[in-house]
Amino acid sequence: MSEVTIKDIKKVYDNKYTAVHDFCLDIRDKEFIVLVGPSGCGKSTTLRMVAGLEDISEGELYIDGKLVNEVAAKDRDIAMVFQNYALYPHMTVFDNMAYPLKIKKTPKAEIDRKVREVADILDITQYLKRKPAALSGGQRQRVAIGRAMVRDPKVFLMDEPLSNLDAKLRNQMRAEIIKLRQRINTTFMYVTHDQTEAMTLGDRIVIMKDGYVNQIGTPQELFNQPVNLFVAGFIGMPVMNFFEDCKLVLRDGKYIADIRGTEYVLSDFQQKALRENGQEPCDIICGVRPQHITLAESGLHGVVEVSEMLGSEVNLHVNCEGDDIIVVLPTVGLSQDVSMGARLTFTTTPDLIQLFDKETKNNLIWYDAESVENHSPRCKSYAF
Amino acid sequence: MATKISHIIAYIILILLAIIILIPLAWMLITGFKTNQEMFLSPFALPQEWHYENYINAWNQGIGTYLKNSVIITVLATALSTFVSCLAAYPLARLNFRSKKIWVYLVLGGLMLAPQSSVISLFRMVKMAGLYDTQTALVLIDAAFRIPFATFLIMTFYRSISYSLDESAYIDGASTWQIFTGIIVPLSKPIIASCAIVSFRAVWNELMFANIMLQTTSKKTVPIGLMNFQGMTTTNWTLVVASMVIASLPLVIAFLLLQKQFVRGLTAGSVKG
Repeated sequence: MSEVTIKDIKKVYDNKYTAVHDFCLDIRDKEFIVLVGPSGCGKSTTLRMVAGLEDISEGELYIDGKLVNEVAAKDRDIAMVFQNYALYPHMTVFDNMAYPLKIKKTPKAEIDRKVREVADILDITQYLKRKPAALSGGQRQRVAIGRAMVRDPKVFLMDEPLSNLDAKLRNQMRAEIIKLRQRINTTFMYVTHDQTEAMTLGDRIVIMKDGYVNQIGTPQELFNQPVNLFVAGFIGMPVMNFFEDCKLVLRDGKYIADIRGTEYVLSDFQQKALRENGQEPCDIICGVRPQHITLAESGLHGVVEVSEMLGSEVNLHVNCEGDDIIVVLPTVGLSQDVSMGARLTFTTTPDLIQLFDKETKNNLIWYDAESVENHSPRCKSYAF
Repeated sequence: MATKISHIIAYIILILLAIIILIPLAWMLITGFKTNQEMFLSPFALPQEWHYENYINAWNQGIGTYLKNSVIITVLATALSTFVSCLAAYPLARLNFRSKKIWVYLVLGGLMLAPQSSVISLFRMVKMAGLYDTQTALVLIDAAFRIPFATFLIMTFYRSISYSLDESAYIDGASTWQIFTGIIVPLSKPIIASCAIVSFRAVWNELMFANIMLQTTSKKTVPIGLMNFQGMTTTNWTLVVASMVIASLPLVIAFLLLQKQFVRGLTAGSVKG
């Protein structure tokens, strides 16, 4: 059992700068939580507060129901893997991994057994006598994870552990973390700025910006039901297309999204949600994922400016009346000319259109105070 | 091609420098084996007969005692100053506390203090403490004057060590003392060795305080001894030269022992990693 409850945590530095505003989150036992957001959004600060490396200015932090605000890092029973591995350069891999156990005065035989067991899991037994300098980036990262594992911590904290690795190794290590997670089955809190890592690793993802939580949800929820423009733009590759200056029209009791003169009668669930919210016609920004755009006889028009062939699909940068729109098309069955300069007509399905209020930038369908309340009780600090 | 030429030029300059430094040393070593007359008649020739007795006589005339005193004082003062500097540099480099800046300025102030300016006050303090004419006084004073520079050097090095090592050890359960002794000090070995050797050299050659604080001949150090020796044996220069060779041996041995660490310490920080 290892649950973490974060209640209204705030971090204010001595210079009065607030790095984290009222962060609320209930992490369930054995859950993998990923904190994601751009640089300076407060994700690492939050993790460091949980680790005990930063003081908590306001709010409460519970690990397994026990208030740990004033408990020293070493007594919180957590382990942390750092971005730069933080291996002790003068010690061998074995000594690095044994260090936390030696500090705890664990018997020698026990240390030896544990280190070898973990080294075996991580496939680093052959490097036990080497110094970190003689290891590759990926091997060092494994040692760092190993050092955290030997302690059997209640919570595993990882601060951008893969960002120092090259792209290929990162993919490989990502897969290994997934396997590792299944094996050790404990609670994880993982910080990254890479949305792919967040989507592939997290049971739930916390998206942060400027010290505020923007949305907490499963990868699927964040992808399909972004609560605001920032979340919609942050999650998904290539990024979501935004059509500025669109209109939400109410005609004959039906809501219609008007994108550049092309009208889309919204689907039933959208109609229902908008009606329940008592939505008035207004100026909106429409978001459509590149994968949700298809070529059609009629609809929006544009000229291909850049065509990126990726083999199984082609990414097209299309100039649609001044907006740079990305369209992802599968190459199988693609008969139309999509080379540079080609004129395209494309459309999408109404239920895949995300509708954002032009003023508040909130999603007209998915953002509502109640859902915010449900994500994290007492937290109302969604800033956009 | 250009790099090859620059390498050749660099080598020529380095060889010339080495010659400039080595010639006086070699001259000293060889002259120690000559007679006084030979030294003046053919100063740069090899001795016609190798007079080992110069070295034996130098030793018998008391250089051995001076050497012993110097070794005791230098080892103790170097150990004390290095130990204190290692400890003092740690909070200044890696901990956050209010009066930190004041302490850093104090260390810097110590760097700027000329030893001559404190002679009178130190003499009075030593007298009052009843330490006059004791080697303890010299150990304390020599160590004190080495501490600011060593602290400054070690502090700069400590700062270059990644903070995540401390944090990681802290989470692993280590106390500040365990982090200091188990992580920071082992990683700082090169700079500590450099500080030790610089202090060793300075204390070994220290003349002013040794001259003022010690009175009894049997307690005096090598620099004072050599000075006295010169007065005593004005006619026998080769004996003085032989004593100088003996006096410089411990320094050479210390440097050879710590050479690797010393060079690493001087270049540390130039490459991050």
